[in-house]
Amino acid sequence: MSPADAVDADARLGELLERARDGDRESLRELVRVLDPVLWRVARGQGLAAEDAADVVQTSWLELLRRLHEIRTPRAVTAWLITTTRREAWHRRQRARRDVPDGGAAVATAVDPGPAPGERLIADERDRVLWTHFERLSERCRDLLRIVAQVERPDYTVIAAMFGLPHGSIGPTRSRCLAKLRAMLLADPAWGTP
Amino acid sequence: MTGDGDDTDREILARIARDDPPPPDLDERVLFALALTDLEAEVARLAEATPALARAGEQAHTVTFDAASRTVMITVVERADNLVRVDGWLAPAAALVVELRLPEPAEPRVVTADDTGRFVFDEVPHGLAQLLIHPPSTGTPKVVTPSLQL
Repeated sequence: MSPADAVDADARLGELLERARDGDRESLRELVRVLDPVLWRVARGQGLAAEDAADVVQTSWLELLRRLHEIRTPRAVTAWLITTTRREAWHRRQRARRDVPDGGAAVATAVDPGPAPGERLIADERDRVLWTHFERLSERCRDLLRIVAQVERPDYTVIAAMFGLPHGSIGPTRSRCLAKLRAMLLADPAWGTP
Repeated sequence: MTGDGDDTDREILARIARDDPPPPDLDERVLFALALTDLEAEVARLAEATPALARAGEQAHTVTFDAASRTVMITVVERADNLVRVDGWLAPAAALVVELRLPEPAEPRVVTADDTGRFVFDEVPHGLAQLLIHPPSTGTPKVVTPSLQL
């Protein structure tokens, strides 16, 4: 992504934010759609069970609404939401450890609790091989690849805010991490050829 | 975004993406919770939840929300007709107006808690819901919970 694209992405988020502030539901919906996958990863990255993570993401948005008039720039909104989600998740985990012996995983709702943090969806042999090598990557690479994989059109402004990295370094870091994983997989006979 | 050169890159990313995606209803839950929340509302946090328990032949689970000014505890009881009853309790106790928001086009339900802080919503459909506790006086913020799945 070029610096010009980065400016565009910022401008787009800024526009959505401005319209959402004025009460435009469609812009708010789009803002939520862009940012939810990132906030989800932040909450899950803090080791929360799926239901707790979903709840923390909601709480962060509710808090944002109260502060919307104080937060001016799109970059600040993204950074604020990510920081709030991280802090809420941390508090939730501390409280779960203190109050509930099973770490709060027993939240009863109609929602499928999903896999516990650290548990992987292994559908076949290639998945097993992939996750084995994936674990050898640095934490930053793992986090970055998970987020770019999950987001349809990754917004590097948002991802840069998540990692506290300069915007321009996200693209190269992503390529380096993917290349490293790819090299490990191609060198493993168990991965085979596609 | 930058092009993912080839099938191998795409396969790697697709396999990673399949692991632990956000719940499909996450955006919907966030938007529902945000829909009617005004800017001054105080946010109650999920404090504790117990798994479904069979209680006198009924399925029930209890959820507690903490806000700075008040705690709201609700027990959701399954009815035989596939609806639920919500038994709630405010602490500190106060006879406040409690609103249960449901997705449109359903109208919100409004009840007033008794002097001991107890309130009941009966014949509530399963699905998303949000509780709003109206303040005793103007100048005190409304308390809102995140949306919950009944």
